[in-house]
Amino acid sequence: MAKKKRKLTKRQKKQILSAIIFVLLAAFYLWQDLTAEVPEGPDIQASQSVQTEQGGQFGPADQTAADSRGVTLADIPDYSGDPWVELNNNEPEFEPTDYTVTSYEEYGALDGLGRCTTVMACIGRDLMPTEKRGDISSVRPTGWVQAQYDFVDGKALYNRCHLIGFQLTGENANDRNLITGTRYLNVDGMLPFENLVADYIKETGNHVMYRVTPVFDGDDLVAQGVQMEAASVEDSGEGVLYNVFCYNVQPGVEIDYATGESWLAK
Amino acid sequence: MIAVVCVDDRNGMLFHRRRQSQDRLLREDLLSRCPGRLWMNAYSAKLFTGHEVRLAVNEDFLSLAGPEEWCFVEDRPLAPHLDRLEGLVVYRWNRAYPADVHLDLDLSDFRLESGQDFPGSSHETITREIYRRTAVE
Repeated sequence: MAKKKRKLTKRQKKQILSAIIFVLLAAFYLWQDLTAEVPEGPDIQASQSVQTEQGGQFGPADQTAADSRGVTLADIPDYSGDPWVELNNNEPEFEPTDYTVTSYEEYGALDGLGRCTTVMACIGRDLMPTEKRGDISSVRPTGWVQAQYDFVDGKALYNRCHLIGFQLTGENANDRNLITGTRYLNVDGMLPFENLVADYIKETGNHVMYRVTPVFDGDDLVAQGVQMEAASVEDSGEGVLYNVFCYNVQPGVEIDYATGESWLAK
Repeated sequence: MIAVVCVDDRNGMLFHRRRQSQDRLLREDLLSRCPGRLWMNAYSAKLFTGHEVRLAVNEDFLSLAGPEEWCFVEDRPLAPHLDRLEGLVVYRWNRAYPADVHLDLDLSDFRLESGQDFPGSSHETITREIYRRTAVE
């Protein structure tokens, strides 16, 4: 005997229609969301207000309002024994409209691989820390594969390396300000440049435009190094002016920058 | 002449044609110890606003300073004037700074007579070392 066909009731037809309409509407709004323009970060060139940004307003993950003006690995000489090298005749590449005497600090959003991007600040005494540094061990930067070597100062190959040093803006466990950096990068490379800026500001009360950009090769998780740019504002660079690249190397150690693994150099 | 220099942990003096650092209490210490006038060039003279009466400013100051006169030297090599140097006052920042110009004297040519630490206005500890040139045989 053939099965009897069950017809849908009017009520069932209405329910199905409502469900279809609902799905279509949901799909429409989702599509709108995906294709909408992401709002840009704050216009720091026009800003006259103090901003302390830690996220959420820096646009797409691969772009920040404070992007460096274009240093690439091709611009950087190979490491040849000195912890840093001058770029652009040691002249930073801030735009004239970047300069301000209103302190601020901006930390670019992590990119699609979770890596730090450019950080930028106008550093004044008001941003400097008034307390001792705090614990930063909760942050695990990309490529953090720690290793111990007896000949490395402190034995640990890697430091959680501040892009803008703690002595300048007092940032602790800010994952947008910490990269996997060698001890050599941290102490021999970056620290002297941070000291120069910090002591200038402490002594003069002036401001310094400051930008640090980690430079990665492709999708590597460990940066090849960092570009550091600084220019004192009130004296138009007479006090502080530099544009350097600090190498993320450790003499005696080979590093796989794709992963962060390391081994003794031959 | 007595040359007065300010150096970092590696005897660095300048970076990118700019002094590595400055300190108001260091300058006060220097002026309190300097007998008579303090020779220097125009670049250094900007640090001593308000003390102009104590200064002798001339770009050729290392040649003009007389015996036992003090010279504040930030951006000049001293080795060419070694034969006129009777002593050195070295202020150490006790900090690491970048440097592309370093003190060009061998301190083994001098005898350390005294050393003293003091707090700066923006440096935790500044060390003042006073040297006398050892006799040239």
